[in-house]
Amino acid sequence: MLKVVAACGNGMGSSQIIKMKISKVFKKLNIDADIHHLSMGEAKSAAASYDVVFCSLSLVDNFKVRNDKPIIIGLKNLLSEQEIEEKVKEKLIKQ
Amino acid sequence: MDFITMFNSVSKVFADNILTKPEFFIGILVFIGYMLLGKPIYESFAGFIKAAVGMMIWSVGSGGLVATFRPLLAGLNDRFALNAAVIDPYFGLNAASEAIKAVGMSLSWTMISLMVGFGWNILLVLLRRYTKVRTLFLTGHIMIQQATTCTWLLFFAIPELRSMEGAVWIGLLVGTYWAVFSNLTVEPTQALTENGGFAVGHQQMFWVWLTSKLAPKLGNPNKSVESLKLPKWLEIFNDNVITSGVLMIVFFGAIMLLLGEPYLRNLDKAGFPESLAFPTYILSKSLSFAVYLFILISGVRMFVAELTESFRGISDKILPGALPAVDCAATYGFSSPNTVLFGFLLGTLGQFTAIAGLLIFHSPIMIITGFVPVFFDNATTAVFANRFGGIRATVILTFMTGIIQVLGGGFAAWYFQLYKYGGWHGNIDWDTLWPVIGVIMHNLAVPGVILCIIAMLVIPQLQYRNGNREEYFNQGME
Repeated sequence: MLKVVAACGNGMGSSQIIKMKISKVFKKLNIDADIHHLSMGEAKSAAASYDVVFCSLSLVDNFKVRNDKPIIIGLKNLLSEQEIEEKVKEKLIKQ
Repeated sequence: MDFITMFNSVSKVFADNILTKPEFFIGILVFIGYMLLGKPIYESFAGFIKAAVGMMIWSVGSGGLVATFRPLLAGLNDRFALNAAVIDPYFGLNAASEAIKAVGMSLSWTMISLMVGFGWNILLVLLRRYTKVRTLFLTGHIMIQQATTCTWLLFFAIPELRSMEGAVWIGLLVGTYWAVFSNLTVEPTQALTENGGFAVGHQQMFWVWLTSKLAPKLGNPNKSVESLKLPKWLEIFNDNVITSGVLMIVFFGAIMLLLGEPYLRNLDKAGFPESLAFPTYILSKSLSFAVYLFILISGVRMFVAELTESFRGISDKILPGALPAVDCAATYGFSSPNTVLFGFLLGTLGQFTAIAGLLIFHSPIMIITGFVPVFFDNATTAVFANRFGGIRATVILTFMTGIIQVLGGGFAAWYFQLYKYGGWHGNIDWDTLWPVIGVIMHNLAVPGVILCIIAMLVIPQLQYRNGNREEYFNQGME
């Protein structure tokens, strides 16, 4: 099972939107995942225990990646299932 | 026992055990929502537990904030005849709920208003041919905060309406705001996101519209903030834990220094023993504000997640194809990280300037900067100002936003008497539009409420009339 966190500034609104959208996309692609949502500050501290982090493109630089973990996916349009699907296919499924 | 007595005793049990316990009320709402959506009973039950526990965590955080805050507020008042309020929606939520409880009402009334508001918004979109409203406000945590502040505004302005009737009026008022003002952000948001398919449903909807109108007059969109190089260290302020912690140290540190060591030692004998140095005391007290704030926020997050899930399910069923109005941060991906931080920086300067002004002119209210308005309002203003007017418009508008947040928030905290509980909602629409609505209601009572609702409902009509009528209903739709 993939451990996923959606992060945004205060961990309230946008991360909840991302969470709902990615769970839809994961269901469609048959990916089994446990999805949480947190503020950027909290997600940064906990990033090592997740496989994938989703956030707005504007927050990507705040996360540090060590040994390719976690995979950071930055989204331009948080509401676009199409964008999420493309990026998930590109970054998660190719391995 | 005849039917009427039975009904009365059942409703008394309900009123005594559910209405006075908002955690169970919200839990039941979530449970019913999930059942209506056809979720299995165990999932609905899980939703009930998470919503109730979330709300109870909220009250733990809230209780901690109140207990930490009260002696300092009393001290400021006692020594300097000064009142302090943090302008932040979570401090505002805390203050408004304390005020509601202090007049003997329960937060369940807020939840009733919330349901009425949500239902009213759905109805306004269903009747879009006549109302010209295209958007459904779906940002759960904001709906909780706004419904709560609005509940206090009406309970304060019209004490006779501290009842079921009042809860319905509050729902209609706040629901009209959600529908009409999120609808007003459609065009600017569509321009910014190149038809991203959403509108803003947050705390600065009026401001987004105003910014999109003023920015082109103030600057040139081709000279953008995005190419600007900002120092790397500013990035730490993206982190809400750090920013809130720093703000609390700065402001509460200043307040405690002002009150002085002997005063505080006398005030807080248990928490400030002989062995503890003053700087250590200041640091740990200031950071405990941040601690309770995060407890409160994580509680709100937990129950709002359930509420939003069931709201979204319900709206997908009743209203497929309504344009969703969502969190302002959804627009940030359409600008550079620079713009967001730049807005925050200029807004902070504006707020600090205005706070200095309040102190210099001996205002009876001192305003304390809170994280959410200073970060999110100004970042959002920056993103839109930059899109429509480039760097010059961004500088002017975000600095002005910071100033208005403090002055408008100070007025509101004073006028609606929430300074007694140390907080005001503080986001820009609540420093401009809502104080006006509150003052109108306070002076005109129920006719004032009706006037405000009608005045708001006229806005989408004007928008439709002055805009491109053929494209109006196609905005954001594929």
